[in-house]
Amino acid sequence: MAKTTTIIFLLAGILAFNTHATAQQQDKSSEQEKQDHSGHDMDQDKHDHSGHSISTKTGPAVDHAGEHSADDDHGHDHDIDHSTHDTHAMDHGDMHHHHHMDDDHIMDHEGTMIMGQNLDKLPSSCQSISEEVEITVRAGRKYSAKFPGTAFAFDQQQWHVKPCSKVTWHFINEDSIRHQFMMHGLPKYLYKYGMFHLEVTGPKTVSGTIIVPGSDDTYLVHCDISHHMEKGMKAQLVVGKGGKDIPSIPGLTPYNVTDRYEAEDLPKVSNKSSDKTEKDLLTLEMTNFSDPDLKNYGIMLISALIGLFLIPLFKKIPLHKKND
Amino acid sequence: MPVHIFFSLLTFCMMSAAVTAQASLKLPETVKVDPAALTGEPMCDPIISAAWREAQEIDGVKIEASPGCSPDNPAWIAAAVKGTNNISMDTLMKTGLSPDAIIKTDDLDGDGDPDRIIIKLEIMELNGKTPDFPGVLPTFDIAPGIQPGAWVFAPKMSGMSTENFESIRANPLLRLPSPVIRVEVGDIVQIVLENTHYFPHSIHLHGVDHPFSHGEHGGQDGVPQTSEVELMPGERRIYQFQARQPGTMFYHCHVQTHTHLAMGLAGMIIVEENRPNNWLQTLNIGAGHVRHPSVAVREQFDQEYDLHYHAMDKQLGEIIQKHNDPRLIARDMNRRYDITDSTEDYFTLNGLSFPYTLRESLIIVEPDQKIKLRLLNSGGEQIAVHTHGHHATITHYDGVEHNPMAQIMRDVFDIAPAQRLDLKLETVNDGKHSYGEGDWLIHDHREKGITTDGMAEGGSMSSIVYTSYLGKDGMPKVSHFGIDLNKYFTKEYFERRLPIWQDLDEWASLGSPGERTGLDTATQNLLLNVLYGLLAGLLIYLIFSRWGQIKQSATAAIARLKSPKGSNQ
Ligand SMILES: [Cu+2]
Ligand SMILES: [Cu+2]
Repeated sequence: MAKTTTIIFLLAGILAFNTHATAQQQDKSSEQEKQDHSGHDMDQDKHDHSGHSISTKTGPAVDHAGEHSADDDHGHDHDIDHSTHDTHAMDHGDMHHHHHMDDDHIMDHEGTMIMGQNLDKLPSSCQSISEEVEITVRAGRKYSAKFPGTAFAFDQQQWHVKPCSKVTWHFINEDSIRHQFMMHGLPKYLYKYGMFHLEVTGPKTVSGTIIVPGSDDTYLVHCDISHHMEKGMKAQLVVGKGGKDIPSIPGLTPYNVTDRYEAEDLPKVSNKSSDKTEKDLLTLEMTNFSDPDLKNYGIMLISALIGLFLIPLFKKIPLHKKND
Repeated sequence: MPVHIFFSLLTFCMMSAAVTAQASLKLPETVKVDPAALTGEPMCDPIISAAWREAQEIDGVKIEASPGCSPDNPAWIAAAVKGTNNISMDTLMKTGLSPDAIIKTDDLDGDGDPDRIIIKLEIMELNGKTPDFPGVLPTFDIAPGIQPGAWVFAPKMSGMSTENFESIRANPLLRLPSPVIRVEVGDIVQIVLENTHYFPHSIHLHGVDHPFSHGEHGGQDGVPQTSEVELMPGERRIYQFQARQPGTMFYHCHVQTHTHLAMGLAGMIIVEENRPNNWLQTLNIGAGHVRHPSVAVREQFDQEYDLHYHAMDKQLGEIIQKHNDPRLIARDMNRRYDITDSTEDYFTLNGLSFPYTLRESLIIVEPDQKIKLRLLNSGGEQIAVHTHGHHATITHYDGVEHNPMAQIMRDVFDIAPAQRLDLKLETVNDGKHSYGEGDWLIHDHREKGITTDGMAEGGSMSSIVYTSYLGKDGMPKVSHFGIDLNKYFTKEYFERRLPIWQDLDEWASLGSPGERTGLDTATQNLLLNVLYGLLAGLLIYLIFSRWGQIKQSATAAIARLKSPKGSNQ
């Protein structure tokens, strides 16, 4: 009798797990929609501040005073930066004049960087520019909140553009550290190393433009600061119908190598009936399976239990015959 | 009883006897590892340009010669001396540093050097897990193939974390140990920590004169239980101080110190005496030879070396290679890892273990020199550094000068965890200061200090090498003694797959024995027992199945025996 109850609980667990997983997926897609809207709103705000070149003002280009407690520190830091220019009479008025390394590589005195920008070179696969779009990308720790188990993220994990479109990226770093918007796999005859790269210490914005090739493809976008991509700062740009998905994008594509998870015996407020607690624990363990590996292990475990339960039954059949 | 059974029994016995005799005649042959089967690497890293070793001047910064195999990038030194805000764009591009990594301004006391110093540090992971492929990145080898998971304070950089986008090897700026910081007494110093890591961290300025709390920046002792909350990922914090006392000091993370310090978040910080025109090398990336020493050091010494000793537990580093999810790493590090059950496995000098210590941590000397050595032990246990061929004088303990009349000379220097020693090494060949020229080992005399994961040769050992014993490539010249260091520059050596004495004689008398071609005694016995068992079984079976026959023949035999008797009666 006890065994039958166990199996019923286990089956109930599987059911609960499935519904839970579906619910999560729905959550994600609705959240992404929300993010899309806020992105577009900000977009319009930003146009005045950031064009194709970097604002050379030392003050934060983005006003996040309300959101960032670190702003005081930041402000002070920049005061000292000002004194730098005063003492050494270095003119940062025209960034292009002083920090224009070559056409491909623009950097200001704070390390704000645009690399591999392409304003006018048409890819060979394009007759003309199909459309001009502006996309605002936000980067920061807070965007990782919706992806448990990550530490940094972009506000969106995927962008769609038409083949041959000219895309201007407004990259808003909302943290007080460096972040990058680095795109790989672009045609090397147009982009050095096939790369387009924006980098900025936040809170601040940097903008850059590329012209995407004429064929359907999917490009990796990430931040290359050690373990930012591994811990969530990863996305993809889908051109046209896109190509092969990039793996391990939070909430979008599965990880190639997954971690092992197990339920911990954490202290919790105790329930009234002990019977109920036991049942809840079991369901909890089942629903906590969040990666495919563990789900498989769960199923294996269940089948093993079923098998164990069935062994005595099988044994009984020949026994009865012999008794007869 | 059938005759053929007896025959077969006989055959088995003879066969087994033959096998036993043959096997014990000869032991297995020696299998010698062919050097061609090893993934060797050049002793001196070819990535580094030989021109870096020469004395030179960049952007007006004089840089001393450094004849070792892997000297510091001279552009790093120029940037560290002038500040990334005062060097040419060309030099800056050769450093990989962010243009705001080291900002030097304002000669407040009018003595010809800048007195406002801003140093920006990031926190980087080395050899951590990735969800994209089985393996770690960005990779940093402390010895061939040895890649412990680690964290470091790194100078604020620009661009990629790897050498280039086709490599998973760490950018040269991202390395163990955390960089040595040099500031002057009276400088208004801001260390800006930009937490680029996924865990909370802090900076504690051990031994450096710093206010407990700063009006603008709040508490700044780095301790989450006393002065400030943990600095979260993505946040920055400024630690500001104006030191009144010089000395060799220590900085480290004070969040979960028992793991964060051992992971590598620890470095030397040196406060130099205030002198006119004292442009300091603010960062000594990778520690070791100081190629632009301070005015005060140049007054008294011919050379200066920063020697940072560290130790790491393999199991601790493996936590960041086992999990990618920061919550799992936090769980294992904060709640499952038990430091009281841990052992240190990797012993490093300036972030590397032997043989890589030979590449960049040789103390290269000439006769009759005075050399300043600054030693820090950031490991968890006391170390005992022995200088072969030399007695050195202890001039400072923990940054404070020892009474000059009472200073002592030793050849073993015990250094407690977090402790610093300043030594004066004099290469005067008088039988006490020095026994003369040579390639003299300098090593931690706890014997595990010369091992890597418990196997010698490894650990933090390096050498005090006289230039007469230095090869052109900057490696110690020992081949005329018949010594070949090449085997240490292979992964297989540290995988414990290379019998270390196989090349000591022609026939590899202490090489690896091959597999036994015959049967070893244990297997023989086993097989024989199986055989006997089978035979016994067969016998029993025969007895049972032919019980009737046996009984019959037995009765017949007895009858035959009896009948003559009976007839006799
Ligand atoms: Cu980032
Ligand atoms: Cu820490």
